[in-house]
Amino acid sequence: MTGLARRLGRSGAVRTLGPFVPVVALWWLLAQLQVFPPAFFVGPDAVLAELGGLLERGILPGYLSDSLTRLWYGVLFGLGIGLPLGFLVGMSPVARRLTWPLLLFFQAVADIAWLPIVIVWFGFSLTAVTFVIVYTIVFPLVLSIVAGIEQVPPELVRAARSMGAGRIQVFTEVIVPGSLPSVASGVRTGLGYGWRALVAAEIIVGTSGIGFMMFDARRVGDVAEVFLGMIVLGILWYALDALLLAPFEHATVERWGLVRQSAAT
Amino acid sequence: MDAVRALQIENLHKTYVDAYSGDEVVAIGDVSFDVAEGEFVSVLGPSGCGKTTVLNIVAGFVEQTSGSVTVAGKPVSGPGPDRGVVFQNHALFPWKTVQGNVTFGLRMRGVAKAEREATAAEYLRLVGLTGFEQRYPHELSGGMQQRLGVARVLANEPAVMLMDEPFASIDAQTRRRLQEDLTRIFQEQRPTVFFVTHDVDEAVFLSDRVVVLSGRPSSVHEIVTVDLPRPRDWRTTGELPQFRALRNRITDLLAGDESHAVADPA
Ligand SMILES: Nc1ncnc2c1ncn2[C@@H]1O[C@H](COP(=O)(O)OP(=O)(O)OP(=O)(O)O)[C@@H](O)[C@H]1O
Ligand SMILES: [Mg+2]
Repeated sequence: MTGLARRLGRSGAVRTLGPFVPVVALWWLLAQLQVFPPAFFVGPDAVLAELGGLLERGILPGYLSDSLTRLWYGVLFGLGIGLPLGFLVGMSPVARRLTWPLLLFFQAVADIAWLPIVIVWFGFSLTAVTFVIVYTIVFPLVLSIVAGIEQVPPELVRAARSMGAGRIQVFTEVIVPGSLPSVASGVRTGLGYGWRALVAAEIIVGTSGIGFMMFDARRVGDVAEVFLGMIVLGILWYALDALLLAPFEHATVERWGLVRQSAAT
Repeated sequence: MDAVRALQIENLHKTYVDAYSGDEVVAIGDVSFDVAEGEFVSVLGPSGCGKTTVLNIVAGFVEQTSGSVTVAGKPVSGPGPDRGVVFQNHALFPWKTVQGNVTFGLRMRGVAKAEREATAAEYLRLVGLTGFEQRYPHELSGGMQQRLGVARVLANEPAVMLMDEPFASIDAQTRRRLQEDLTRIFQEQRPTVFFVTHDVDEAVFLSDRVVVLSGRPSSVHEIVTVDLPRPRDWRTTGELPQFRALRNRITDLLAGDESHAVADPA
């Protein structure tokens, strides 16, 4: 590798955006050659123009903030319920026996399958969407916390106890950090599911938000806006991962050598 | 002997019951011995004779079927900071730095920060890990990890230090170094040590006495006193005729037990 290539490879922007260059080029080429009719497939230029228009009219920022507000409430309540519940079920054999069949049952009822009844209960409201997001986040989170607690080596608990740690100290000093790799991946999975559930709920509940914007654009045949919606979803998830999840994992489980360090660090 | 009994094991017996099949396994037949304060005692015996089980009962990890274990005059129930354990696989906390691992026990017992740090510095120096305070365990070699395992226990000043084949997963070269380090540390600090091993040379080199267990159902076959001069190191101690005689004697005891076991499959 030449010095220049190495320096470019180390720059964050190149590493993040680099893989998208050929994809966008291919996209542009397909649109330019009119492989598909323009009514079905538009190029990056059309999507950029659409972005400009939606920003100018304030529609995109408004919808974006609606979606993010819903996600924020969903995540807040989802983690607020999922984390304590997960540790309770994982630590207490009694709680485990009582809740395990329920957890498996409700995990199997897909999140979107709740929408009809949730709309009956809460109408087309923030509450309805939040309910679905919370639901989607809680179950994978609880299951991965339980799995994480089981993975904590019993020797570490023994070591802590024979150095004078009590029950609560064993929990905070050994169980919580020891199960963190699994908890972190549970949070990641939960948020990913929650994000998808949000978009699906917006399409169905449909009053505002990115999901609504895309579905509404489809109704009037505005393909560029649909494309734009998809791109916004991808970028938002990427940002969430890069700004919150990845730095957290980097500072904890990777630092401790509990998981292989990701290539991007 | 008038020395204070740091650890007293009397008529210890353990039968495991397999939770699945209901089969019973006698892990320890009848074992009694004691360890004086400041004494280094090793336990040797054929594989599967219950050495780890004895140690786990003393540590409070496993409950005996009958018999008693007393540490500093008090009967043992459950794990406690009076019995520090050095594990074969180190069992260090991966999420704590070297410093965090060494000070763990002191922190659990509410020792003030300044005192914790002074104690940590002292024990890290003792095991040669000064300068590695801010490293994480996965950044240390196997030998360094086990030194940390020893420092972590000693810093807690237990009545007895329990070690179950602590050097078994370490290469032969490093193992000899660690044995020399351990005997030097023992010389300096005089902790009470209960040491389980497979390695006859290691047991003789480190110990004041070696408890030889018979095959299952195990009992104490013989207790061999090792009166080699201290300080010890491999170059001189290993060459002493007494060292060789003791090693051969114990090897014979172990071999005799095995041939006995083959001849009499009861
Ligand atoms: N948790 C358990 N449940 C059932 N049986 C067990 C259990 N732990 C140990 N045993 C049995 O008890 C006997 C003694 O085991 P132990 O591990 O104490 O032997 P050991 O002397 O330490 O062996 P080694 O030298 O191989 O480490 C063995 O036959 C073993 O199979
Ligand atoms: Mg063993």
